[in-house]
Amino acid sequence: MSAIIAQLTRRQLLWQGNNQQAAYQALSSGFAELDARLGGGFPATGLIELQTDAGIGELRVMLPYLKQQQASGRLLVLIAPPAEPCADMLAAAGINLDALLIISPANNNAMLWAAEQCLHSGCCASVLLWQPQLSLAQARRLQLAAEQGAASLIVLRKPAQYLSLPVNLSLALTAKAQGLSVKVLKRKGGWAGEVVNISMQQHWPALCLADSSAATALTAVAG
Amino acid sequence: MALYLYLQLPSLLVDCVSPLPAKVPLAVADAQHRLVQLNAEAAARGITLGMSLGTAAALCADLQLLPYQTERQQQLLQSVAQQLYQLTADIALDPPDGLYLRLCAMLRLYRGLNGYWQVLYKALQALGYRYQFSCGTTPLAAKCLARQQLNLLSADSTGLSAALKRSPLVASELSLPLQQQLKRLGINTLGQLLALAPAELSRRFEPELLSYLGRLNGDFYHALNYIQPAPGFSRYIELLYDIADTRVLTAPLSSLLQQLSMQLKQRDALCYQLQLSLHFRSGRPAIVLAVGSAQGEYLPERWLMLCQLQLCRLKLAEPVSGLELNCDDFKPRQAQTAALFDNSVATLSPLQLVSLLEARLGRGAISSLSLQNQHLPELASRRQPPLWTQQSQHQKQQNQSGGGAALKPVIPLALRPAFILPSPRPLTEPVEITSGPERLCPNGWQLAAQRDYFIGRNRKGQWLWLYRTVSQQWFVHGLFS
Repeated sequence: MSAIIAQLTRRQLLWQGNNQQAAYQALSSGFAELDARLGGGFPATGLIELQTDAGIGELRVMLPYLKQQQASGRLLVLIAPPAEPCADMLAAAGINLDALLIISPANNNAMLWAAEQCLHSGCCASVLLWQPQLSLAQARRLQLAAEQGAASLIVLRKPAQYLSLPVNLSLALTAKAQGLSVKVLKRKGGWAGEVVNISMQQHWPALCLADSSAATALTAVAG
Repeated sequence: MALYLYLQLPSLLVDCVSPLPAKVPLAVADAQHRLVQLNAEAAARGITLGMSLGTAAALCADLQLLPYQTERQQQLLQSVAQQLYQLTADIALDPPDGLYLRLCAMLRLYRGLNGYWQVLYKALQALGYRYQFSCGTTPLAAKCLARQQLNLLSADSTGLSAALKRSPLVASELSLPLQQQLKRLGINTLGQLLALAPAELSRRFEPELLSYLGRLNGDFYHALNYIQPAPGFSRYIELLYDIADTRVLTAPLSSLLQQLSMQLKQRDALCYQLQLSLHFRSGRPAIVLAVGSAQGEYLPERWLMLCQLQLCRLKLAEPVSGLELNCDDFKPRQAQTAALFDNSVATLSPLQLVSLLEARLGRGAISSLSLQNQHLPELASRRQPPLWTQQSQHQKQQNQSGGGAALKPVIPLALRPAFILPSPRPLTEPVEITSGPERLCPNGWQLAAQRDYFIGRNRKGQWLWLYRTVSQQWFVHGLFS
């Protein structure tokens, strides 16, 4: 390497693609195929956006990650969950129910306020937020609070055309017979547009369809 | 030798009005329209105690008047006594405006009268009331000397008794007719009276004179009713002007909280619950806010933040004229422990976060989840107060009583949905059943109410938890998120 290049590098005037730093600290998602595409897993802090329908496995995909986040002894907070969370399922997945808070705010403002307080306090590891209306400024504010409190905020929204928010990671989930198909919409310090199919066969064998050839499933219709 | 200090606070009601914007003459008038208390500005304008309202108004047109409130005066005196209780063990009230402090037991602690006085002086300055005082060998002697504004500070009994002998009869507590009677006999000072033989006095005068002189001299025992520290905190402040905006309430509220935190610090205690009452002028019932902190706090800033969150939710129908802060019980402070090498960024503890959220969103909005040993899905998950395990541990530490039976850990059932619908909805779409049935029967083998559960997947790829009733109807009960 010539002396000029070395000098420019030292003065931080030259940027090289191959020594790029990760934009965030990654925590394994528990799914090897996902980890490989996301540079190690989900970000440990900051905003994660999931565009997903309800009930297709969006929470199951996050559970190993949430369990690791909670292992530090900090809280897991569910804000405005769509229905009554089930203790059996959470406990079976290894979530510590003693460090779990459920908040049911009255309106969108209260919801965002609660999320910000939780993130900012530093005593929460992860906050899950269902169906908020988020403006760009509000998302930025939550992102800052999350970085300050070293917490992660997972925003679950219906798939739609949204403005791009300042998030660390944005994923679109769609249902597949064997699990989920994950499309990376945005990744800080990485490429978007990749699609990963993840299989739930290992973690949730009962919640996967068998091969279509062996489909002996019953079909029930409401009567 | 016994030594007492009498502390007279002649203008409590005037002094407790928070600092006025400009120099305003202020006086307190009693029911007979006599002035009983003055501030310095009023005295400078030539107004004296005992003057009638008419004269005072003629002398000074802009004189501001307050009515004399016996109850309030008593409260103020009581609060001064509570504050001084930190310095002196034995304090007795002498309503309306005096305090007896028994010094003889305290001098050793403070290494003499001077050391004691320095500490007391600082405390009195911090309270900000005007005062006059005197030492005396008996409570009544100290009172008599203090009434003359002698401000004597000495433990020398001969000097004190000489000063007592010089005292005019006006300074004593003898009734006016008695004083006049004595004056006609040519007795003008207490010294002359004390020189007379008691037997002679008892023959010519009422027994009250002899009993007074006996207590003054120390010949008779004078029982004083020493105060006990109050168990909680209760204080009321009248606002200078009515406040309609809850944000403006911050200033008077923070001064109340400062006083609370002083008291908590002195006892090394915390409190978990405050009652903040907003009083109105029109007799409308006061609004009472219960402000709670799950972890217990003593810092005024933290309490102020929690109070503000409650206040900003409040709509005031009319301006507030008074604030009252009550706290019933103090709890001993627990040392907070945290890991030394854990470079955490926490600015709040989990319990503090819960208090903060509850203050803004209301009690019911925050909860935790617990797993019950039940097979029915609607009974297996139970909402609990937020972080109830931590809170109950806290309480247990407080009570220092272990004893609670250790809970056997409940083993979660294998496959349950993430969300249970509060009320099952009828199934209206085609689904593909992948596993089941799992038969659940309500307690007591109510066979008619048993349900067969299946796991199904609909066309959109949603995983549903379905059940079929005995009458072959299908319902969606949960969602495998």
